[in-house]
Amino acid sequence: MSDSAASPSKAGILDWFGLRWFFRFLSSSIGQKFVMAITGLLLCGFLVVHLEGNLLLFVSAEKYNAYAHFLHSQEELLMVAETGLFVLFLAHLYLAFATAWGNAKARVDQYAVKQTKQAKGLWAASPSTWMFASGSVVLGFVILHLIDMKFQARPDIVYLDEHAPNAPYANALAVLSNPISRVVYTIGVIVLGFHLSHGFASAFQSLGLNHPKYTPLIKWISRLFAFAIAAGFASLPILVPSLSR
Amino acid sequence: MSHTGSKILNLNLQIWRQAGPDQPGALKAYQLSGISTDMSFLEMLDILNEQLIAKGEEPVAFDHDCREGICGTCGVMINGQAHGPDNATTTCQLHMRRFNDGDTIVIEPWRAKAFPVVRDLVVNRSAFDRIIQSGGYVSVNTGGAPDANAIPVAGHKQQEAMAAAACIGCGACVASCKNASAMLFVSAKVSHLASLPQGQTERSKRVVSMVATMDKEQFGNCTNTGECEAACPAGIKLTNIAQLNREYMKAVLFSGE
Ligand code: FES
Repeated sequence: MSDSAASPSKAGILDWFGLRWFFRFLSSSIGQKFVMAITGLLLCGFLVVHLEGNLLLFVSAEKYNAYAHFLHSQEELLMVAETGLFVLFLAHLYLAFATAWGNAKARVDQYAVKQTKQAKGLWAASPSTWMFASGSVVLGFVILHLIDMKFQARPDIVYLDEHAPNAPYANALAVLSNPISRVVYTIGVIVLGFHLSHGFASAFQSLGLNHPKYTPLIKWISRLFAFAIAAGFASLPILVPSLSR
Repeated sequence: MSHTGSKILNLNLQIWRQAGPDQPGALKAYQLSGISTDMSFLEMLDILNEQLIAKGEEPVAFDHDCREGICGTCGVMINGQAHGPDNATTTCQLHMRRFNDGDTIVIEPWRAKAFPVVRDLVVNRSAFDRIIQSGGYVSVNTGGAPDANAIPVAGHKQQEAMAAAACIGCGACVASCKNASAMLFVSAKVSHLASLPQGQTERSKRVVSMVATMDKEQFGNCTNTGECEAACPAGIKLTNIAQLNREYMKAVLFSGE
């Protein structure tokens, strides 16, 4: 993996702030795992809040619109939250690429035959083996989702002007009824669940929290959480289009 | 040697042959007959080598020393599994009764950037030695022998230390990990010494320095897949890696390291 020694070019500023230790920590394998875990768990927190808000689509158009208007009335807070989210996402992403790159370099010559010794049925289907791949699918889905909802830039979707009182609900419905989005969103959130079923529990191990007292519980909560997130979000593209307009 | 129930096997071996570190290597096929199920895996390789020598061919180079599961030198990949199909068993303790007549057995060296192939199935594991040199020890003053049991150690701590000390440094964790990570090895050493009173003096320095060396040796990073734990012939647990993570965080945040 990455060399833990700070590079000389950065030493000047780091020493000025007395932060050489911090840089060394961030560039160490364990420090990277730690940041991966923290950002992952915080992003899990965002998913919960995001799902809660979106499930209002099933309650009523008024409730959903009120929620959207409330969020957008907090201009500054929203900016801070979005920036924070973006930084978390970027850090998580950067570390995924950095570790995947380092890990690929750690084994150049591959085995002709490789089998697991773990007592799980299909190694190929194990979430932990596919974190980078599942993460990439989620990234693709998130990009489309941002284009659809945040930037409202899909040419094949007719958006209502955002000042119209019913705009949030109408636009959410328009996006969720779009066949491309429906398919991509459903696949995206199922793969997200797959990603979380390992990621959530794995974060605790990376933070050093592994003990026979509670690790089995964490693993169950992880699966349950992954399922709840996947099922909750998948219900939107699957069921929302059938709500009467 | 043979007792009732022992059988004779005919095997198709596919063995990695590589003349030297920078030479190209390839799997080579060998037919081997008359192998008793009572033999160990390494005895089977001995028989193959005797036949190769008789034919004037180069024998297959493989590491081995104790042949009783304690030295950790004998690890090879057997059909894609470190030390073969048995759990908690080294290659030298694996028996041919685990295989069937007519089986194809693929034998490869450990594969990791940090463990370059020396020849055939032999790899250079001195990266592990350098990790140990960087902190996997305790410093003691020599002098009169201290009284036995003069330093109290809690029973459960003693057991934790003993379980971690079971690591034989064979490298199966690195070999089986999809990232070629050495975390299980390093964590066993760090946990072992962190559990005992004698290990306290150098506790913070040890973990920071050993992790830095591990990173420098270009082992991969852990993604918590658990392959290492399953492959470990000494039963080292993933809880050790969690402890390594804790020890490292504690050292970074609360010590001068
Ligand atoms: S030869 Fe010593 S452990 Fe196998």
